[in-house]
Amino acid sequence: HRAAALRAGPGPRLWKTLSFVVALPAVGVCMLNCYLKAQHKHERPEFIRYAHLRIRTKPFPWGDGNKTLFHNPHTNALPTGYEDEN
Amino acid sequence: MAHQAHSYHMVDPSPWPIFGAAAALLTTSGLIMWFHYNTSTLLMAGLLSMLLVMLQWWRDVIRESTFQGHHTPTVQKGLRYGMILFITSEVFFFLGFFWAFFHSSLAPTPELGGQWPPTGINPLNPLDVPLLNTAILLASGVTVTWAHHSITEGNRKQAIHALTLTIALGLYFTALQAMEYHETSFSIADSIYGSTFFVATGFHGLHVIIGSSFLTVCLLRLIKFHFTSNHHFGFEAAAWYWHFVDIVWLFLYMSMYWWGS
Repeated sequence: HRAAALRAGPGPRLWKTLSFVVALPAVGVCMLNCYLKAQHKHERPEFIRYAHLRIRTKPFPWGDGNKTLFHNPHTNALPTGYEDEN
Repeated sequence: MAHQAHSYHMVDPSPWPIFGAAAALLTTSGLIMWFHYNTSTLLMAGLLSMLLVMLQWWRDVIRESTFQGHHTPTVQKGLRYGMILFITSEVFFFLGFFWAFFHSSLAPTPELGGQWPPTGINPLNPLDVPLLNTAILLASGVTVTWAHHSITEGNRKQAIHALTLTIALGLYFTALQAMEYHETSFSIADSIYGSTFFVATGFHGLHVIIGSSFLTVCLLRLIKFHFTSNHHFGFEAAAWYWHFVDIVWLFLYMSMYWWGS
């Protein structure tokens, strides 16, 4: 298996190059894109009491049972509306 | 000293399998107690015992292989089959959630407004953080391959750098997903859209965490000289698992994030 190491000479070099010249710069470009997109967002949709949204068949087993696990008071309305509006 | 006339590993008696089964029982019944009776003690006991069994069982596998030499090429072959079969079973696990997604999204019901995404749902922009997450996982696939080649060629320093970079990218993905989960305007309770989205991406995220943990154990073992240039199956298994996690994400991205928006 020493032979395997000798045969695959450029192995790590190729992948190291791909990592730093292609893969990581691509991540960087996407990061920049996200940053630029985040500069202008904000407005949240108005609350309409749709029956198919904000379903509560049984309480969640945490807190007051009415908020999802990743509840965000600014972006997630409760079945009765946004918390900061009523 | 006893000798064996075969190349297989006859494992010494171990308590971990039955303790693992007990942990599974505690965890499942713990979930029931938590969901229906609002008490989490049994669940905590289950998860703790599960963690302890995993740590001790896999510690024993490392002892048997790296330190006691029981992993002959024959044994390694069996482990390869095992890992491949396990990953295949995980593929089928995700297939089910993709089935559910396509079942609901290809023929959206009147209750949803007859459209997909359903009325009132504002899906994530696939070209925003989801695209960054795609780049991150693809990059980590490149760095883990760099790590593998470094190990094969006996280049310790590069292997450590490459594997560390891979784990860092995995953690970055997890952090971004957690942030996305907190920022979405829709939740798991928002129609079948929310259900399919969060169950599928949620299980994927769990697998990213599992994969990152597996890779971290490999990094520790790499640093402690457990691997040789031609015997490092633990690392290979972790790398296979990581590629699988990457591929699942690609399908999630193409179907739910992109087509599904």
